[in-house]
Amino acid sequence: MRMSIGERCFQVFNYSFLIIAAATMIAPLLQLLAVSFSSPVAADAKKVFLLPVDFTVDTWVHILQNDVLWRSFFVTVFITVVGTFLSMLFSVLTAFPLSRKDFLLRKPIMFAIVITMIFNAPMIPFFLTVREVGLMDSVWALIIPGLISTFNMVIIRTFFMGIPSDLDDAAKIDGCNEFGLLFRIYLPLSKPVLATIGLFYAVGLWNTFKTAVLFVRNPDLWPLQMRLRSFFVSEEQLSTVDLLVGDYDFNTTTLKAATIIFATIPIVIVYPYLQKYFVKGAVLGSLKE
Amino acid sequence: MKNYANNPTIDSGVKRNIPIKSKRKKNRYIENIQKHWMLYLMILPGLIYYIIFKYIPLLGSVIAFQDYQILNGIMNSPWVGLENFYHLLNYQDFHEVLRNTALIALYQLIFQFPAPIIFALLFNEIRLMIAKKTIQSLFYLPHFLSWVIVGGIVFELLSTEGVINAFREILGYEPILFMQEKEYFRTIVVFSGIWKEVGWGTIIYLAAITAINPSLYEAAVIDGANRWKQTIHITLPLLFPTILILFLLNIGNFLELGFDQIFNLLTPMTYSVGDIIETYVYRAGILQGQYSLTTAIGLFQSVIGFALLWIFNRLARKTGQGLW
Amino acid sequence: MKKSYLLLILLIMSMLVIAVACDDNKTDGNNDSNSESNQTEGNEEESDEPVVVKVFKSHLGKGTIPESDDPHVQKVMEATGIEYQLITTPPGSDPAEYINLIMAEQDLPDILRPIGGVEQTLISQGGALALDELLPKYAPHVWEQIPEEAWKIVRTASDDGKIYYVPKVFMIPERSPLLRKDWLDNIGMDMPETTEEYKEMLVAFRDEDPNGNGVQDELPTSGREFGRWMDHLFAMFGVAMWEGYPEWDIYNGDINYAGTTENMKASIEFIRELYQEGLLDNETFLNKGDVWAAKIDNGLVGSWYHLPANLNDNLIIMREHSPDVEISGMSLPKADGFDGYITQKSMGEPEWMIPKTAEENAINALKLLDFYYDPANSEFIQYGIEDVQHEVVNGEKQLIPATDETPIALGMLNFTTQETMDLRIENSFEDEDQQMIKDIFKTATKDSRRIAGDGMPISVYEGYPDIQSHKLFQEYMTNIVIGEWELERFDEFVERWKEAGGDEITKRAQEWYAQTE
Repeated sequence: MRMSIGERCFQVFNYSFLIIAAATMIAPLLQLLAVSFSSPVAADAKKVFLLPVDFTVDTWVHILQNDVLWRSFFVTVFITVVGTFLSMLFSVLTAFPLSRKDFLLRKPIMFAIVITMIFNAPMIPFFLTVREVGLMDSVWALIIPGLISTFNMVIIRTFFMGIPSDLDDAAKIDGCNEFGLLFRIYLPLSKPVLATIGLFYAVGLWNTFKTAVLFVRNPDLWPLQMRLRSFFVSEEQLSTVDLLVGDYDFNTTTLKAATIIFATIPIVIVYPYLQKYFVKGAVLGSLKE
Repeated sequence: MKNYANNPTIDSGVKRNIPIKSKRKKNRYIENIQKHWMLYLMILPGLIYYIIFKYIPLLGSVIAFQDYQILNGIMNSPWVGLENFYHLLNYQDFHEVLRNTALIALYQLIFQFPAPIIFALLFNEIRLMIAKKTIQSLFYLPHFLSWVIVGGIVFELLSTEGVINAFREILGYEPILFMQEKEYFRTIVVFSGIWKEVGWGTIIYLAAITAINPSLYEAAVIDGANRWKQTIHITLPLLFPTILILFLLNIGNFLELGFDQIFNLLTPMTYSVGDIIETYVYRAGILQGQYSLTTAIGLFQSVIGFALLWIFNRLARKTGQGLW
Repeated sequence: MKKSYLLLILLIMSMLVIAVACDDNKTDGNNDSNSESNQTEGNEEESDEPVVVKVFKSHLGKGTIPESDDPHVQKVMEATGIEYQLITTPPGSDPAEYINLIMAEQDLPDILRPIGGVEQTLISQGGALALDELLPKYAPHVWEQIPEEAWKIVRTASDDGKIYYVPKVFMIPERSPLLRKDWLDNIGMDMPETTEEYKEMLVAFRDEDPNGNGVQDELPTSGREFGRWMDHLFAMFGVAMWEGYPEWDIYNGDINYAGTTENMKASIEFIRELYQEGLLDNETFLNKGDVWAAKIDNGLVGSWYHLPANLNDNLIIMREHSPDVEISGMSLPKADGFDGYITQKSMGEPEWMIPKTAEENAINALKLLDFYYDPANSEFIQYGIEDVQHEVVNGEKQLIPATDETPIALGMLNFTTQETMDLRIENSFEDEDQQMIKDIFKTATKDSRRIAGDGMPISVYEGYPDIQSHKLFQEYMTNIVIGEWELERFDEFVERWKEAGGDEITKRAQEWYAQTE
């Protein structure tokens, strides 16, 4: 395709602008990576800049040999996989009726749901409710209380509403009922938005931390984000003079950097993989308008 | 509601008014349930979820009208009426805090909200697939850094040793300690917010863009439209429903700016421009057992957010795109 | 097809039900074990089952929670007949919030170390157990070792004048003004004795390249964001200051907030001068903790304020580039017209309390606590068990550093004196550094005194978060120091502070102080 001069200028500008911006966005992670491979002394003295100083793999050996860390890793993988599946299912099942004009309670229910997005429950009553349901100290406490994100559900609903209604009639002629319509027509057409929302849920579940602090007491069930924080020893710990063991080892800068990398990489890798779903679809505006 | 009245399925032969109305309605709902029972079945799990995990805990908001004593529970805590709200309104710096919150929220709405749309369109202009995917993936990285880390980066970038001041030095200017200058604070908040979240925000728009039927563009090309015109006349209009919904989803939480960001960028020197409701709540929470006050402040924010959403939803309904 | 989707839904629903049901069972199981242990705690019969005391403590440091077969737990049980069960906050949680949660679910431990003001919640809502009669009986060592004065302060923390907690006691100052003695030698100056001399010294630090790297990169003195950890500059003017938070001491004949005094104004004026002349690190109020530490570690800072017992980490890095580093405590330079001192808080801060819900087990909890305060056990408390917590090298006991995987040995003694601090120094510093650190403590001890507000309960601040958090103070102090605002606005601050509730708080503080006398 030929490009006008204006378009060419724009392309040059666009590429350089985006590449420079992208470089600033990967820099912090490269910096953390460099710190994680540096000696604690160099890291604390802030001598590390994008390249490791006094290269060492000690920190990584320490992390990768840590059994409890791996256990937490698998807890997180479990809640991410199972939780994303359940969240998607519940969200889709909730979003679909709310997108149907022939669902009479559509507006009142939608209104009631949006209310919960604005009015947040105070922490203590929320905590006590989840506890009463009997979810304390189980992996389900990390999945079920946040099962449906209203934000995500509404996005799915909006997408469903954009699907041309002509398809409904076609489906009805084929003898599809409403479940069939959802699972056989709507969902296959919604791959981009499902991939997007799936990603949103997966990232949220991967980063599970606050609910874990509230609901999980058993260290065997700690998700990754919580386990990582157990490595960060804070200065305030000096307050009591007990057994003097270990109070003085604050060289956690490198450990911190390595754990952040360790916790971020797996979920970051998901996105490029999902991008392939972003080229299919081709629904919006196809028959409508 | 008006629609219901005009519904043609209702038998209009019945005469007496009041009981009939309820009967009519009843019939309508029963009919709807009978006809679309699958939809009701589908939404049931979601409804149960919302009742148990959203509405029941939400009842706990009554502690805003109590002097909530955590050891005694809601049932045994004394009621204080609106005292917690008076406390908030009588707070010495209430106006300053509210003004800062509203201003920063407004800046975020004006600059931060459209940023992902613009970037999604820019990404869309990259023809080279591999470059497009790589750049997108890199843009999405800062979302995974916590504000503690990003705050630290911002402080270091803007320090006397930082990049910006190094640049100023080359040009022969004196260094500026940006983080302690009031006039830069809100700019820094907006910029750092865009930097951290723009890539993440584009994902949803990119998904919407890829769902656009390519035949529309093909037709436009035949009509001689260049890329710019295609963007203005095809991409943007088709993105509009998504933009509108995201706007509505955001406006309800207008006064909630994100505590972590502000807290990690704020210094005592910039309190007068950067102290917001959430940082006040944090300070108020320092004194233990202030759950009633913090809940009251939360309700205050929610009521304002709800009012805004109500207004904008009404406006949006005129385009047929409201949330409800 | 229709059926398959229905099945799917049913499957999901049943999964949920099962999940919930499973957890019900689980919690039931827990309850059972709880009631079992409660029975044994009740000592219905003389059985072999150990008495279990649940101890809650946050900020434990590295390590895992010990199981009941842990040697340290076993050893304590042999001695006391009590098995301690350590409970702590989940990593990354806010400890005070966590205690609030367990209060909300009525699941408090048998004895807990309050934090973030939780003690006031417990006391004011009737959730704390009065210990006046129990302590002398079941924890005589605690009762006798902690000075009478401290108990007196503890009594003032509640309306009914009872003892609701065991206080922390710290008989020596923990913090000290620190100085690069090697810099002082390099520029050929003596220890400054007045604020003028101190300033001259800082000027020399700035101009005469004391770190000898040929670059004028020295930051003569520095502090941290919010004006934290620069107490030495305030202390010279007799301001009661605790890590950057103004404290309460006697001013104008009664106890008053140090933040609004003439002393404060004078110190801010002085600090403002230092800032203008580049003697105080101009990025002081932007220094996050790690940045500030790196500046000190990299040999850029000459005079600062910190915990001498923590210097080891700094020394390791400092020696990388300047092997001859020597750190010394600095006696407070005399400011004209003011009596300087280092703020010391020694007693009255809550350390252990017993919730009312654990009344039945209170005797056992106190017995456990008493074990730690019994001087006869001090060897064990200090060093733990051989080859677990310490090893013997050349006939001397040396602590084995903790790792993430080693079980934590519970400590309950928080009673620091000159002797215990010396021991700590000997345990954590290289032989050649020990004298240096001890000297720093000696200098600091000479200059420090307990403030009148030591042990004042935080309940005096109730209803005034901006004063409790020192927000107003920090805003004015920093803006004046950096030259953004004129010094005169300090008076405006005093007025606003009073209006914002300062007067009411002062009244409460003075009432409290009258009780302690």
